[in-house]
Amino acid sequence: MTNSMKGLVKALALGLGAACSLAAISGASAEELSLKGKRIGVSAIGTDHYWDLMAFKGIQDRVKELGGEVIALDAGRKDQQQIAQLQTLIAQKPDAIIEQLGNLEVLNPWLQKIRDAGIPLFTVDTATPHAINNTTSNNYNIGAEIALQMVADMGGKGNVLVFNGFYSVPVCKIRYDQLKYVLTSFPDVKIVEPELRDVIPNTVQSAYSNVTDMLTKSPEKGSIGAVWACWDVPQIGATQAVEAAGRNEVKTYGIDGSPEVIKMVMDPKSSAGAVAAQQPYEIGKTSVDNAAKYLAGQKVPPFTFVPSVLINKENAAEKGKPFLDAAEKAGVK
Amino acid sequence: MSATVLHTDVGVSDEKQAAAKSAGRRFGALVVRLGAIAAFAAIMAYFVVFAPGFTSTFNLINVVEQSAILGVLAYGMTSVIIGGGSDVTEGGIDLSIAANMGLCAAVYATLLSMGYGDFLSVLAAIAVGMAVGALNALAVVGLGILPLLATLAVLNVAAGMELTLTQNTVVGASSPLLGVLVSGSFLGISALAWALIVFSAIMIVVVHGTSFGLRLYAVGGHPEAARAAGISVPFYVSFTYVLSGFCAAVASILTVSRLSASTPGSGELLLSVLAAALLGTVFSRRFVPTMGGTLLSVLFIGLLANGFQLLNVSSYWVNGVQGALILLVVAITSFARGSEGSR
Repeated sequence: MTNSMKGLVKALALGLGAACSLAAISGASAEELSLKGKRIGVSAIGTDHYWDLMAFKGIQDRVKELGGEVIALDAGRKDQQQIAQLQTLIAQKPDAIIEQLGNLEVLNPWLQKIRDAGIPLFTVDTATPHAINNTTSNNYNIGAEIALQMVADMGGKGNVLVFNGFYSVPVCKIRYDQLKYVLTSFPDVKIVEPELRDVIPNTVQSAYSNVTDMLTKSPEKGSIGAVWACWDVPQIGATQAVEAAGRNEVKTYGIDGSPEVIKMVMDPKSSAGAVAAQQPYEIGKTSVDNAAKYLAGQKVPPFTFVPSVLINKENAAEKGKPFLDAAEKAGVK
Repeated sequence: MSATVLHTDVGVSDEKQAAAKSAGRRFGALVVRLGAIAAFAAIMAYFVVFAPGFTSTFNLINVVEQSAILGVLAYGMTSVIIGGGSDVTEGGIDLSIAANMGLCAAVYATLLSMGYGDFLSVLAAIAVGMAVGALNALAVVGLGILPLLATLAVLNVAAGMELTLTQNTVVGASSPLLGVLVSGSFLGISALAWALIVFSAIMIVVVHGTSFGLRLYAVGGHPEAARAAGISVPFYVSFTYVLSGFCAAVASILTVSRLSASTPGSGELLLSVLAAALLGTVFSRRFVPTMGGTLLSVLFIGLLANGFQLLNVSSYWVNGVQGALILLVVAITSFARGSEGSR
């Protein structure tokens, strides 16, 4: 609905009697969402990463925008705490719960309990059969695109260092599986075994030392062609390690689009090859819209994809800027 | 001559002053201790009045359930502090307890996922937990290393072994025992809550109702006197570290049941465990750790997080309040210690 149309609706409503006007507004806003008088519980496993914080903020901002009350819970990357928060949240009986990321194996029995309690469940970036809707990026696309970009930059052959510490996180599983699928068509591109493990916390430091060790182990130039991670915080450490070792033939690839990494890709001298940039703030907002639609009795699809953009060395100057602007606007660094 | 007289005079007035100071301090400590308890009570009263649903049976059972893992670990920590003495720098402390729980959980979940049954997997987890405890005992009692440093080193050993075993991944687990712990209930109280109730009862009886417990306090409070009375101090101190390892193993099984998996990051619990054991001393007249005091503070920490969430206060405050309370209690404890002089 455009602003002028909104104005028209308001003018019409004002023109009617006081009793009628209420009906007119609520009638007119069938497409215009509202969460007035609704309480929405939001549970996130952690917000220490750019993506997480932006999505968490997007959810809260949108609920408030729609006139709802938010119960916002950040588990600080502690599974125990998230489970305790969800357990108490179920007892609070909010009108809907939005859950953002975490270990699916740990979460699933508790998400089931949310549904058993009759509370509508929506998820952000977390594919589970218990959610009414999962709002996320198209990770099948992202996974294939970043893998193909990597293979192209490598000229179709070489060895890849892969961080695979979070296969239990659904989006990482999809991206990793897509990488493997793409590589079936390029048998000359090989993943170095054993794979590396990315960790939380100390992600950057740990990735830095892992990659440094692997480069020391394979000292000949060209023996390693690329580093891949299912998110972009390990990519920061990997890029720094590659540059510190003077191995500029190695390029790094990751997913999410933290401002720091986008800037690296924009820098022609940096070893960051590409990053698939998502719109976490939009993803958070969209999940709230889905919840509001559902609570208004509308149909909601099982998943909603918010567009993402592959930022590589060629298009970085043009495609990177809007993402940096969005980060600045949201006030999240 | 005159110098000697002067010296005696000073000595006498010193003693008088010290006695007066000590009485004053003791009174001051009493006031501060009651003040702390009153603060606890006031926070609870506020929740009762203002936090919607706080006093419902369902909510309170939830909190007991949420406190089970922390409680079992805190009992282990408390026993170590009782046996090693509660001097913050040189007394008993087990910094490895949370990491040990992580290791035991990894062992338990890994064995289950490899197809070994509950019996063997539980046995292995308990054996590992107690072995880590024995390693602490060896370092502290055998090698005479400060507990703070010895258990810090063992923390790293345990955390490293857990990482080696799980490669820092989530290891899913399910078994008949876990099934009972997750969904079992008796008299309307869930299995996890029962675990805390039963474990608490055992610990309180053993430590406060037996001559064994009495000797444990003697060892921690007055090791010289205990030795003179023929009590084997090294045995009792070693025992507390092994008991602490056992508690870590029991907590690990409860953790795996609650999370349906062993997950990295168990070490994070250490601060809460320490908080519970230290806060518990406020509930004792002489500022010594007691099992009952520990139980109360474990429940207090659980209720704090719960009440804040019900009031829709940011969860970020919980850590801050918890830290402030630890500081307060340690300050009070040191203050009270001053009155007992250098024993």
